[in-house]
Amino acid sequence: MSADLLTLLGAWSIATLRSATPLIFTTLGETFTQRTGIINLGVEGEMLVGACVGFAVGVATGNPWLGLLAGALAGAALSCLHTALVLGANANQIGSGLAVWMIALGTTSYFGRVLVGNQVTPLPDLGSPLTDGLPFLSVFFGQMTMSVPLAVAAVVFAAWWLANTRSGIQWQAVGDSARISSENGIRPGIVRFKAILLGGLLSGFGGAILSVDYTQTWAQDMTKGRGLISVGLVIVARWKPALVLPICIMFGLAEVAVLRAQTAGWTISPHLMATAPYLVVLLILIVSHAMARRDADMPADLRSVFA
Amino acid sequence: MMPKAIACFENVSRRFGDLVAVNDANLELFQGDVTAILGENGAGKSTLMKLLYGVYPPSNGRILIDGEPSAITGPADAMSNGVGMVFQNFSLFPALTVRENLLLAWPKTPFWASERNKGTSEVLANLTRLAPHINPHSKVANLSVGEQQLVELCKVLNISARIVILDEPTSVLTPAEARHLHGFIRQIAGEGVSVVFITHKLVDVEACADKIAIMRQGKIVDVSIRGQRSMSEIVTLMMGSDVKRTMSPPALPKKPVERLFLNKICADAPGMSLKNISLSVASGEVVGLAGVAGNGQALLAEVIAGIHPVTSGDVVLDGQNLVRRNQMETLATPLGYIPEQPRENAVVESMTLAQNLSLRTLASGGIDVNSDVQALLTRFHVNPPEKDRQASTLSGGNLQKLVSAREFGSPRAAILACYPTMGLDLSAIQTIYLEMFAQAEAGAAVLWISEDLDDLIAGAHRIAIIREGQVVAVKINDGSLTRDKLGALMTGMNLDELVA
Repeated sequence: MSADLLTLLGAWSIATLRSATPLIFTTLGETFTQRTGIINLGVEGEMLVGACVGFAVGVATGNPWLGLLAGALAGAALSCLHTALVLGANANQIGSGLAVWMIALGTTSYFGRVLVGNQVTPLPDLGSPLTDGLPFLSVFFGQMTMSVPLAVAAVVFAAWWLANTRSGIQWQAVGDSARISSENGIRPGIVRFKAILLGGLLSGFGGAILSVDYTQTWAQDMTKGRGLISVGLVIVARWKPALVLPICIMFGLAEVAVLRAQTAGWTISPHLMATAPYLVVLLILIVSHAMARRDADMPADLRSVFA
Repeated sequence: MMPKAIACFENVSRRFGDLVAVNDANLELFQGDVTAILGENGAGKSTLMKLLYGVYPPSNGRILIDGEPSAITGPADAMSNGVGMVFQNFSLFPALTVRENLLLAWPKTPFWASERNKGTSEVLANLTRLAPHINPHSKVANLSVGEQQLVELCKVLNISARIVILDEPTSVLTPAEARHLHGFIRQIAGEGVSVVFITHKLVDVEACADKIAIMRQGKIVDVSIRGQRSMSEIVTLMMGSDVKRTMSPPALPKKPVERLFLNKICADAPGMSLKNISLSVASGEVVGLAGVAGNGQALLAEVIAGIHPVTSGDVVLDGQNLVRRNQMETLATPLGYIPEQPRENAVVESMTLAQNLSLRTLASGGIDVNSDVQALLTRFHVNPPEKDRQASTLSGGNLQKLVSAREFGSPRAAILACYPTMGLDLSAIQTIYLEMFAQAEAGAAVLWISEDLDDLIAGAHRIAIIREGQVVAVKINDGSLTRDKLGALMTGMNLDELVA
């Protein structure tokens, strides 16, 4: 294989992974939330708040890691609103999620104006003298930051945790039936509270990675529906954490393909081109639904949200 | 000296809104005793025990455990205090495996719950002892009801419970499985556990109770030691008046005229298929269909009612083929149909009782509800008999009565009744049977699906047995049929195996 081709392949691979990383964290968070029987459309807002606060803290302190941490905490803090509405006030989950999103959209647009045009210190890349000059690896690691291995590790850990730990099994049980869980001595309210909080934490983290690490800018409504897409990707991944990785990578690949096609000078409207990743998701959703036996993988208590 | 009670209810009451479910109850439970709590549906048996298990707090009074006021505020506390409860509908997660279900209800489950952690092997110890044939890695959804109950019992054993509460445990079991359970209860009582056995079957009481507490309308009306009272006394106490459960099926007409005819029905549904079912029911005849739940009777009922399509075969009523009808035609057929689980299958919960009684009229475009709904509600003892009340506010038993009122309320050519007395108390059961037999007397062909073998033997002219989607036998009920004979046919075992 020629060196050029390998370089190109390396560039595509890393671009795909970097584009998928924010989504991996958010989708993983939403998977946890939905596994306990709660749907949170507010992840879009939690991502936005994470991106905004993360970027602001990153700019202010000059430390991208502090930015990511602050973004995650901001996402978790906002998710408390969903918790209060859904678990505290027994509000409709769809309505509550949309409210959280709208509140986040408004406040980040207002407070984020001062951030526009600012520069943030990026995370260091993982290129090293070891990989320098190697055909594929130099590009691959030269453009990779810690966020990518972190995302892969998070997916592996999540899949292991859900299947092999006491709390993981308890979370699955609560998603199946809160009533039966409580008959078994589990407190479903507390489990769901933790799950929404964790979902918010991971969404905020994903949002912060989007602004601090991936785009290194802040723009109004910069998540552009990524949070809502992650709600859909959870379904495509059949509520299985392990499937979050390949599904998000597929979305990332589609996004990179669109960007490359644009730079290659395709004449299709960029607005239409931008819909391609979403069409890919839709296609996968249809295929996976047709192949799966009904909705057997869906946490049973989630159904009641739509009843 | 009297032994000290392990648990004691002192003037305990529990109200839900206006309803007093438990009214000033006093009861003591002792180590090694099997206490049967007998009562009709809605007498407050389950509620009383849920108070002990911490599902709800009592509205008044207190519960003592080992002489100290109970600090149980939820099932989690109950379990750590050695109180275990097996609910009537079980509390298992069908989507999880047997092992995961056991881990969930085991306080000692370590954080790392994988099988490779040696600390978790103990969770399966009771399962291997009690039910070695159950694979801990199969999903609970794939187990039979009897097997699911064994898993529930393992959960209770795993918490080394001192008090074990069983809520109607035999209602889902075959006679052989029930006998097995009775033996098991005697065994754990022998090991010093206090067992509370909620039931409405006198057979259970005879088989294994030491003490019998009788509840009526939320009150504990009597507590006696086994043998102190005769069975008829106990029934009288349960019912509040001396109601005898008499069954008098109508006499068979001299010349049987075939009305309902099932001809080689085959049908497929997920996990179940019907194979060549043929059965005929004459005018005025009551044919019982017995089988262990999940052997195809539900699918057969839906086929006859026109809800599920057949792959081949015919359902003929009065010479008219019913299988190729559309839904509107189905509604117009003179078939009275009582499906199982009325809440899901037979009522519109957001409508009033009057509208529910007139669903057929409403479906065919009519606006007026039947004028005689009030009379129907009274005749079938629907409580409360308020025609403008929303159906969702009725209890399960009263919904069952409401559906019976609709289906038995006017003359039918045929009746298809699936567990028509499920969840009803003795006097309501009496009413349902009277109405069903009256339909037969008027000439209807009655197909009656039930799992209560005593009732079938007392009330049916013939009894068909369904097993694995096939009718394996049709027996004339000439007085020679017994529970054990039918049970053997239902399970496919011979009598000797069954007793062993």
